[in-house]
Amino acid sequence: MNNSVTIKTHKLNKHFGPVHAVRELDLEVKEGSRFGFLGPNGAGKTTTVRILSGLMKQSSGTATVCGLPLDQKRNKIKEITGLLPETPGLYSKLSAVEFLEFIGALNGKNGSQLMHRIDSLLELLGLESRQDDLIESYSSGMKQKVLIASTLLHNPKLVFLDEPTSRLDPSASMVVKELIQVLADETATTFFICTHQTSFAEDVCDGIGIIIDGSLVIQGTLEGITTATNARNLEEAYLRIVGSKVDREALLKWR
Amino acid sequence: MSRKWFSIAKAEFLISTVSLREHRTRNMGILFVFGFLWAILIAPYLGGTLVGLMIPIGILQFLLASLLPGLMRSVMFFIWVILLIIPLSRALQELKIGQWEIFLSHNVKTREILIGSFLGKVPFYTLLVIYIAPPFLAVLFLAFEVVLVGQLLIYFLLIVIILVTIWLSNLITAAIQAKLGESARGKDIANGLAILLAIITIIPIYGIMFYSQQMSHLLGMNIFLLFPFTWLADIISWLAILFSSLNFSLDQILLFQQVLHFNLLVNTMLFIVFVLACVGLGLLSADRIFTFNIGARTEQITTVKGNSAFYRGIRKLAPGSFGALVVTSMKDFFRKASNLSKIAYGIILAVLLPIVMAHLMTSLGETGGFDLMTLLMVGGIGLAVIGSFTFSGTSFMESKDQLWVIQTTPSGASRFVKARLVSAFIIAIPLCIIPTVVLAILAAAGIELFLFLLLYGYAIICGSIIFATGVTAWNPNYENTKSPEHQMNVIITMMGVQIILYAPILISMIGDIFGLPFWDLIISTVGRTGLPFAFALIGLVALFTMGGITLVKGTRALLRPEH
Repeated sequence: MNNSVTIKTHKLNKHFGPVHAVRELDLEVKEGSRFGFLGPNGAGKTTTVRILSGLMKQSSGTATVCGLPLDQKRNKIKEITGLLPETPGLYSKLSAVEFLEFIGALNGKNGSQLMHRIDSLLELLGLESRQDDLIESYSSGMKQKVLIASTLLHNPKLVFLDEPTSRLDPSASMVVKELIQVLADETATTFFICTHQTSFAEDVCDGIGIIIDGSLVIQGTLEGITTATNARNLEEAYLRIVGSKVDREALLKWR
Repeated sequence: MSRKWFSIAKAEFLISTVSLREHRTRNMGILFVFGFLWAILIAPYLGGTLVGLMIPIGILQFLLASLLPGLMRSVMFFIWVILLIIPLSRALQELKIGQWEIFLSHNVKTREILIGSFLGKVPFYTLLVIYIAPPFLAVLFLAFEVVLVGQLLIYFLLIVIILVTIWLSNLITAAIQAKLGESARGKDIANGLAILLAIITIIPIYGIMFYSQQMSHLLGMNIFLLFPFTWLADIISWLAILFSSLNFSLDQILLFQQVLHFNLLVNTMLFIVFVLACVGLGLLSADRIFTFNIGARTEQITTVKGNSAFYRGIRKLAPGSFGALVVTSMKDFFRKASNLSKIAYGIILAVLLPIVMAHLMTSLGETGGFDLMTLLMVGGIGLAVIGSFTFSGTSFMESKDQLWVIQTTPSGASRFVKARLVSAFIIAIPLCIIPTVVLAILAAAGIELFLFLLLYGYAIICGSIIFATGVTAWNPNYENTKSPEHQMNVIITMMGVQIILYAPILISMIGDIFGLPFWDLIISTVGRTGLPFAFALIGLVALFTMGGITLVKGTRALLRPEH
């Protein structure tokens, strides 16, 4: 990992009417790092990813992605980044190969190099035996694998992953974890990962940021955050920061 | 039985009246009170006044006396189809296997699901019939001077048939839903079936509108004595005769007996047996219908083979990434049952329309056949429906979730729109041929006129595709085909295309208001023989211009980051 910065935001804000989804976000993610973006439901993680990937306009503030100013170079940013969305929009009547060929074509790629990449990625993710079946017959985990393949297909420098393993079984999760680590280590690909799974973030990420109600409340290394919160692991640190306390009596009051 | 059926009925009622959810009770109350007044006072008064203006009561009585059995069967057939098909079509667009799982996991009996879902639908469809049936019945009551008891008996029977038909429809829907399951494939087939059912409703509507006499004759045939709607129609006919103050003679009644074949008692017995059989069938088969074993969710896996010669040909012509996009767009389009149904719907409508028009012209005594202007107008309507209905909405994009996939690629939205357009233009070629051939045969057109019609028709479909794509690209934020955004897109596209295509008529109407003789101006420019061509050209220029503007705006909206 080198010291150049892939993502830098300055006082980034996003309003949806009265809702302040992202507040004064100052963020730095280094090239080749695996940044875990954690927070409760509705904290502003997906909105941040949509802004940084050029899909959504911020209300105020600035950002550079891969050294490119977000406001001026959205198309160039899209060329060199990949996004795994939270809600998959697959084409149910295409096979995995056809869908990936479609995504490749949207990125202006075709020919033998694209087909080779498609075959390799599907084999890596264990889909080669079902690659010609229509996606409508895939399980949710298999669909997630196709989406992961589509995100990596054009060899992006920066990859945004929104809940990448939420639908995967443990062995597929392991493959994805390894893939992220190898790509980051060997090709300096940067990963920006939104997740609720603290164990996943603990295993994969070398940098963590926690967002609550649109505000980044802490950013640092895994060790830095656990030390700062005096916690044994990331889950404990997360719960202390987010402030979740379980009242055993309240759990039974509804009865 | 506990009151679980009531909770299901209540939920079903809340869903069917969701558009009235603010002040639901008050609004439903108003609708029922007004419906009651409509049925008892307004419809009979309006019906009587209108009929009185159009035809002397004596002639009406004579006509109805001879046409009554067939006409009543036509009306009952129409109500039967509407009540059977509309709920079925609506339900197919929203498979509810997931809801059944919730019911069954809460230990709800299958009969309770059946009864609850049936009762929940009753208010909405009762309202539908309260507003549709009285104008028909008013004419009957007026002509036969049916006494109040007879009127009440007829309304009672009508309510019974409404309930039985909804019950039957509910039963069939549940059986189909269980069979299709909640898979992506099942949903697609269900959507396709829903559109096909819409075609089935068109035919009796056209029949009633344009062929009521032929339908009366047809439905008067003995074979229709096997259908329950005939028994009900004949019971109503009998009640109208027996409770008439006109005091029909015994000879007249015997004549009716000859036409209707069965007397009141036989018809009533048959109808009661039918009602009991429907209810019994539902209750006895409830367990079988609502038990979804492994079959309900089992997917039939479709494995795709290599590209066909047709797709390989396209790739040869366009070897780059754009050719790949066009081919995947076409594969996606043709593999969806709903798209194939839309094609069938469009073609049937486009073929039916000139046939009906030709029949109307013949019945009006016009022996010269279609003139060119009529030909262009009639053909244009059908072909515009094919272009706008087939390629709007989900044929462009399944849901807004696919937006992220397309928008994350650089200029992906623009490449996607272009590829969709080219693939739709290719698909439109065979779609244009079938209705044009029918139109040419009906008009006894020569080869030159046929080629002109083909070209004109293809241009209309392509213009409609451009407009439809632009509208959907402009507003792609829909979840599925039931969402209001999607329905709005389809309505805007279909109405927009028709209005734009007939711009010359609009222009002339506006011209008339300001004293500008639009048609005179056109005739002085192109001559009387050139008028139809000018009409076609102005419509097409308007369609392509508006389509082009909408498409550019829509594509830009797709490319823009969300605010």
